[in-house]
Amino acid sequence: MKVLVVTSGVPFIRGGAEILADNLCQALSAAGHAAELIFIPFKHYPPNRIPDHMLACRLLDLTETCGVRIDRVIGLKFPAYLIPHPNKVIWLLHQHRTAYELWDHPMAGDLIHHPDGPVVREAIRQADCELIPEAKAVYTLSENVSNRLRRFCGIAGEPLYNPPAHASQFYNSSAGGYFFFPSRVTGVKRQLLAIEALARCRERTLVRFAGEADSPRELAVCINAIRQLKVEDRVEWLGMVPEEQKRDLYANCLAVIFPPVDEDYGYITLEAMLSSKPVITCSDSGGPLEFVVDRKTGLVASPTPESLAQAMDALWVDRRCGAAMGEAGRARYEDLKISWKNVVEKLLC
Amino acid sequence: MPKNHGLRILIATVRVPFVHGGAEIHAEGLCRALRAAGHQAEIIAIPFKWYPPERILDQMLACRLLDLSETVGVAVDRLIGLKFPAYLIPHPRKVIWLLHQHRQAYDLWQHPLNDLHRYPNGDEVRAAIHRADCELIPQALHVFANSRNVAGRLQTFCGFDAAPLYHPPQDAARFYTLPAEDFLYFPSRINPLKRQDLVLAALAQTRLPVRIYFSGSTDEVAFERKCVALAQKKGCADRVQWWGPVSEEKKRDLYARSLGVLFPPIDEDYGYITLEAMLAKKPVITCTDSGGPLEFVIDHQTGIVADPTPEALAAAMDGLWEDRERVRQWGDAGRQRYSDLRIGWDHVVEKLLA
Repeated sequence: MKVLVVTSGVPFIRGGAEILADNLCQALSAAGHAAELIFIPFKHYPPNRIPDHMLACRLLDLTETCGVRIDRVIGLKFPAYLIPHPNKVIWLLHQHRTAYELWDHPMAGDLIHHPDGPVVREAIRQADCELIPEAKAVYTLSENVSNRLRRFCGIAGEPLYNPPAHASQFYNSSAGGYFFFPSRVTGVKRQLLAIEALARCRERTLVRFAGEADSPRELAVCINAIRQLKVEDRVEWLGMVPEEQKRDLYANCLAVIFPPVDEDYGYITLEAMLSSKPVITCSDSGGPLEFVVDRKTGLVASPTPESLAQAMDALWVDRRCGAAMGEAGRARYEDLKISWKNVVEKLLC
Repeated sequence: MPKNHGLRILIATVRVPFVHGGAEIHAEGLCRALRAAGHQAEIIAIPFKWYPPERILDQMLACRLLDLSETVGVAVDRLIGLKFPAYLIPHPRKVIWLLHQHRQAYDLWQHPLNDLHRYPNGDEVRAAIHRADCELIPQALHVFANSRNVAGRLQTFCGFDAAPLYHPPQDAARFYTLPAEDFLYFPSRINPLKRQDLVLAALAQTRLPVRIYFSGSTDEVAFERKCVALAQKKGCADRVQWWGPVSEEKKRDLYARSLGVLFPPIDEDYGYITLEAMLAKKPVITCTDSGGPLEFVIDHQTGIVADPTPEALAAAMDGLWEDRERVRQWGDAGRQRYSDLRIGWDHVVEKLLA
């Protein structure tokens, strides 16, 4: 089949969505299809630029190329998934979040502060409500994204999970004496919450953090907290680590800590499961909650330092229980049949 | 890479899905050159479908609606527009390096292969394209053209000037020369616009036992069959060799060993083949209506410019075949001319960012 993957994004910025789009194209090619990526640049401010870009997408024509039919269009991100096509399938990574669940978010909210914000928000909602159902099928990145789509637009979308990069290379080695917290260092990932929890643990727990800081300011916030709480000797700050070292850190940890704010999906949960490690997450963490079964494959804590500290102490003390949870997590990964083969089959059927 | 990351530059072009040709290679070459010069560069390729004609208007509007002025609060320092309609994307610091306009609305309007004028709204769409080009192209800070030929069309149809800005063929540094063997080389896609049929008709009229090697992929199977049949009919099939699509390495080898290069297309925009021949120190035979090659080939100094008739081309081929010393001199003169023209990515980057 001739397949076009269409997505939007910001020039010069490459994040998870761009990597996923590339991986999808590779998986389609590996399955014997001709697949290409169409990238439509998107600038979301001032708010009136958003309807302009929505209209631009509606004006594009991907039905054929040089007289040859394009068999399938797969839409990933707003507003590119609005591009019309008779055989379109949407695999929704996320909608324009500040028009929906992040509308009045204290840090992320942006439209809400503009005079024409409410009008643009309504235009986005109307376009999504009317045009997303044009697709032959609607899949989403996760249950979390599906729930938002149902809540705000009344549209059903089936979660379709994709594996993290290099899934087959994760392994389990030993249960070492540290928790592992891999993530970009930024407010919504809540490294700070874990540092505060560390200071409240009864046991002498230890956390290894890995990941690049979004900005020097984000990094300073964590480093200052570590000093103030006097937990310098119980924290290792590794920064950006190579993939191989990351897998080694997973393989030898006691458990993985991943307590973000309302994550869309979250590869970290899956990487922990592939490494047969229990995951400590929070009740408001979004994506991870689809995978972590409380007390079976990890612990779901309240998003408070006390509750998180309790979860950390529990796993620190009872290593056998942690190991069993890790094994159960690995088994759950297998049960969910998370693979590119499955993704490609669903998106092309 | 230097500590300051240079300018942030976007290259705006269009693409036809699943087609990868000269324009794509050109954009990628430019992107690489900008990065090598220490800048951040990315290609924005808007999908383009030119039929039915009203789709052209939709896509012109789509391009006008995009906003590439900045990304998350940081200015995009330069937009370089290459192809229609992507070069219409607005930007306060835009430079256009015109690969070509929408030719069906201009020089190819009456061409038998064009269909725009056959649609009921063809005239209207053509007028809209003219208006957009005439009003919006001059909004750029600078306008360059891929070649003098493309600049000439812009002058003829829209009435404004553009400086020609030449760029090198892919892997220019890898071309080399070897002593001439007994064949002329015609590397091109097998396509009516490249006129392999004219060259075969000419071959049948040569006085001397001229031989030709053809290479290149086939665009139209019917045309290729016609060419093969023509060689049979004219009794010159034994003096022709069809290499088909060849590797870049093989292509450079055939250039290097050839006596001279045949390149007589119809009104080519630019034409890498002329430049590749010059890099391989070979004289070029082209025609008076071939467009781009005429900017490089100097008649009887670096090659021969013949009338587009079998007789004139046959005389040109015989001319090279019998005077090998002249062939060598013209080849050297072509290589010298390439150097004199300063055809290189460094020069291109300097001009586009000036």
